[in-house]
Amino acid sequence: MSVFQTDQSLKAATRRRLAFEKYFQWCTRIAIALAAGFLVYFLFTIGGMALPAFRQGQLLVEISYTEDVLEMPNYAVPEEYEFFVSHEFLRQLPLRMQEHPELLGTTAQEWVLAAADVDQLLKGKAHRLDAEQVRLVQELAATGHTRLAPNWDFFTKGDSKIPEAAGIEAAVVGTVYVLVITLLLSFPVGVASAIYLEEFAPDNRLTQLIEVNINNLAAIPSIIYGLLGLAIFINLLGILRSSSLVGGITLALMTLPVIIISTRAAIRAVPETLRHGALALGATPWQVMWNLVLPLAMPGILTGTIIGLAHAIGETAPLLIVGMMAYIPEAPSSVLEASTVLPAQIYTWASDSQRAFGERTAAGILVLLVVLLSMNALAIYLRNRFEKRW
Amino acid sequence: MLDSSTLLQSALLGLVPLLLIAYVLGVRRARPVASGRYFHCAPGYYGWYAVVWVGMPALGVYGLAKVLGGFRLYDVPAWATAAGMAVVAVLGLLYAISRITPEFRAIHAVEKTIMRVLLVCSCISVLTTIGIVLSIVFETIQFFKFVSVWEFLTGTTWDPDTAFLQGAGREDAGVSEAKFGSLPLFAGTFMITAIAMLVAMPVGLLAAIFMSEYASSFARKVSKPTLEILAGIPTVVYGYFAAVTVGPLVVQAAESLGFSAVYNNALAPGLVMGVMIIPFVSSLSDDVINAVPQSLREGSMAVGATQSETILRVVLPAAMPGIVSAFLLAVSRAVGETMIVVMAAGLHPNLTANPLESMTTVTVRIVDALIGDQEFNSPLTLSAFALGFVLLIITLVMNIISLYVVRRFKQHYE
Amino acid sequence: MRSMLTAALCALLAATLLVAALVADAMLASTVVTSPAQAQTLRDQIRIVGSSTVFPFSSFVAEELGKTTSFRTPVVESTGSGGGFKLFSAGVGTETPDITNSSRRIKKSELETCYANGMTSVVEARIGFDGIAIAQNGKNPDFKVSLEQLFLAVAEKVPSKGTLVPNPFKNWKEIDPTLPDRIILIYGPPATSGTRDAFVELVMHKAVKSFPEYEQVLGKDAKDYSAIRQDQAYVPSGENDNLIVQKLVQDKNAFGIFGYSFLEENKDRLKGAVVNGVKPEPKTVSSGEYPISRSLFFYIKADHIGKVPGLKEYVDLFMSEKMIGSRGLLRRIGLIPLPKDQLEQARRNVTTLKRLDPADVK
Repeated sequence: MSVFQTDQSLKAATRRRLAFEKYFQWCTRIAIALAAGFLVYFLFTIGGMALPAFRQGQLLVEISYTEDVLEMPNYAVPEEYEFFVSHEFLRQLPLRMQEHPELLGTTAQEWVLAAADVDQLLKGKAHRLDAEQVRLVQELAATGHTRLAPNWDFFTKGDSKIPEAAGIEAAVVGTVYVLVITLLLSFPVGVASAIYLEEFAPDNRLTQLIEVNINNLAAIPSIIYGLLGLAIFINLLGILRSSSLVGGITLALMTLPVIIISTRAAIRAVPETLRHGALALGATPWQVMWNLVLPLAMPGILTGTIIGLAHAIGETAPLLIVGMMAYIPEAPSSVLEASTVLPAQIYTWASDSQRAFGERTAAGILVLLVVLLSMNALAIYLRNRFEKRW
Repeated sequence: MLDSSTLLQSALLGLVPLLLIAYVLGVRRARPVASGRYFHCAPGYYGWYAVVWVGMPALGVYGLAKVLGGFRLYDVPAWATAAGMAVVAVLGLLYAISRITPEFRAIHAVEKTIMRVLLVCSCISVLTTIGIVLSIVFETIQFFKFVSVWEFLTGTTWDPDTAFLQGAGREDAGVSEAKFGSLPLFAGTFMITAIAMLVAMPVGLLAAIFMSEYASSFARKVSKPTLEILAGIPTVVYGYFAAVTVGPLVVQAAESLGFSAVYNNALAPGLVMGVMIIPFVSSLSDDVINAVPQSLREGSMAVGATQSETILRVVLPAAMPGIVSAFLLAVSRAVGETMIVVMAAGLHPNLTANPLESMTTVTVRIVDALIGDQEFNSPLTLSAFALGFVLLIITLVMNIISLYVVRRFKQHYE
Repeated sequence: MRSMLTAALCALLAATLLVAALVADAMLASTVVTSPAQAQTLRDQIRIVGSSTVFPFSSFVAEELGKTTSFRTPVVESTGSGGGFKLFSAGVGTETPDITNSSRRIKKSELETCYANGMTSVVEARIGFDGIAIAQNGKNPDFKVSLEQLFLAVAEKVPSKGTLVPNPFKNWKEIDPTLPDRIILIYGPPATSGTRDAFVELVMHKAVKSFPEYEQVLGKDAKDYSAIRQDQAYVPSGENDNLIVQKLVQDKNAFGIFGYSFLEENKDRLKGAVVNGVKPEPKTVSSGEYPISRSLFFYIKADHIGKVPGLKEYVDLFMSEKMIGSRGLLRRIGLIPLPKDQLEQARRNVTTLKRLDPADVK
């Protein structure tokens, strides 16, 4: 066996190994690219579906405030356009006339909300108008009597069964209530238990039980927390079904383990030497904790908390079970009132029979995503800005 | 006239200024006295001591009244509760003030209280678990009065139609008996979980390897948040996406290949769920790969191994227990995932190996049973709790195994 | 910096204590304030539960009430008919709903529970029909089918030579040579949905009478035969009816069974099968010619009228011509109006708050 041959095969083997090295590196890159590619595709698809919802079709029509309108609001607009004008606008005419009696007998041109089908036609989507109606709308469009205006109502109005009038305001308020309750319950309790378990707990059966238990809680499917909320908070303690209080408590229990685990990690990351230094100066263990360790661990704790909360806001399954999938068009004025949340609103719209809700579903998703992603961005920023590697 | 609940709420609110006053009084009491003797601790601790003695008894009275009322033992009138709170708060304040002397070590008293509060807080998680078990167990037992455990676990037909008809008010109806064999549901759950893991495991693991071994610090800075964004997308959104976009795509793809697929096939939710789990797998594996000591890598490189060989033959085997535990945690998350399958998978209990058919899962059936059109005490509604119970046990077992594996792993390298 | 952090944390802790106390208060407040004598008004907002079929109509009316009057918009929750009655019949007071919607008539036992739990009067309001459409792709030729043929397509067992065999039919042509040559593929409601209940009642229980074999094999159970085949010919898919619509647009073979409102909403691309020679249209459903339809109801807790502001107004608005009349607004979202005389009758029941007597229901 000559040296030359060995050298040859060795070279070949090396080439093979290096080729494999390249190939493997590319595999890892492709994995990242796949994930990123999905994200981009996903955001584009949802964005594309959502964008039309931020503009809303309007019509310029002549409104005549006659006596009849008080009884039959649709008499206010020309008969051939009756079905083009949103019922949302028409039904409020009698109230408007009661508030402004001077309107009676006058006529006025006004931009009014168009019915969903007209709106969809103007956006070039599928609609249910017949050929004659399409011709009429096109005529209106040609003479500048239609427009697509920014849809602020989407943010300032609550849910509606009339797609062109539906907005997310009530759901957003409900989400804020739920979020505040979740934060106020889960953050202090979570941080307190983490401090106790990490720094002060004696190593006994009880603390071991608590530790194993917290890890288990973190893995329990969220829907089971819904069952808990239904059985304990609603049926046993009698808190009002579908109130944001029930939702908030349920989600707080769900978020608790996440906060405990991340707080413990943050506390653990503070080096022991710092503690020893402070103890040597005569500080009590609690003083070390409160004045030294906790401030240093705070960025890590906040990061974990924000991520946990972002998860809680996006959570739907347990809320379906505690009855937050109801039709609630008005923003709740207290935590004890029935309310809905953004993900539940999205779910309701997604299964509605009226097709014009499709773009609103996507728009609701977009809003939810923007909120959640900015929360995540904040968490990432906090981590990068403040986290020290010891 | 205040109603009772408003009265109590204002009593609670009134406690806040009282606590402030207590703090101020405690602090002022502890200023160095004229004789020149100094107090043992900083004045603030005496303030907190007073706060504890005002707040705790008052809240205790409040809690006691509520517990008595809540268990219907005795309805304490609201005015009595409020008055009781006021009395004990003032008594507590007086007592605390009287205890404040230069020799008194307020700091120990305060810290003892803090420890108790912390302990109580950490017990809440145990209470949660007890609550979960209690809320599921009773209904599950009731369910098993209708259906035998054996039939539930091994039956291959999930056909609760008759139970539904009973619930809908026609007990006399029904030719065949209701069947609660949960195997098809678990088959659907595991089919979708398997698809998800087939996506998430390779992609997540390779992404973790990329980030911890190959990526430049810039690439790492970009790719980590990208993956985290995937983790931040709510499941209802994934579900909508799976139902509206991925489902039809799968159907088109299948039909162009000559297969037939239904719209709510098992593949679409499986794929999307896989994407959802990628960041979960990658961040857990990233952690364990980083935890493998650098010396192992250096040793491997020193004997001439390429980086990929080092990773595949040294780092990954060393990190294996951690990766296994990440895998188990990811599986338990996929098994319990609800919204994606509720929106995108079907309701058809289907024992099949073809992912292009419609399958249903345990979680879908739980939601369906709880928000469907039937009476609450029917076996069908109760089945939701039994399914939840099994789900709970599955995730617990997987979690315990993964904890065990991680503990072994830690012993190796720490 | 540190003192600020401490102060902020203290404030947060204080807020938490307060919230915790409020939570405790709310949890137990209900046990303190349940006696109805204590409060004149129970709530300032109507609460409605019940059938998911009636849910869209009910919430439409609720919204109209909220938008056109000074009353707050009622909360409408979709709990299913049975779940609705369960909540409704629990008693009188803040915690119980004022109205429950139902896609079937109340059962005698449910009504008796109501009266046993302290209600003095429950009023029935019949609001219209829910048609069930057998829909297909709009580009297909009309599909004419009889109830019996439909039954044979979906039943688990079909008659053959004097006995019952598992359903062998894969193609409509095999059921009857006059039917077109199409694979049987039906997307239908799952067992938990009210639409399925209606389908069973209106199609299966009617059609089964035409086949003596069932009675021979099953005896008196035959009239309630309700087993639907479990193979791929019938795909239960109820959670998202929009998905069925999409599938029908793609797949010309498939049929979808769903509430008439989905057909109405998609009439540009779907059409309903002609059943027993009748097309599903508001007119034919309303007159009872179209065989697959059922009545929709809601039930009012009369004890709450006068105690929950807006309850009477909500009920009156719902029963008005504007809503459920022959040209009412609810027709646009798929409710099929009652014929004039029946509507008058239903309205009279409600305006006089006629107490529903357990003897009058089954």
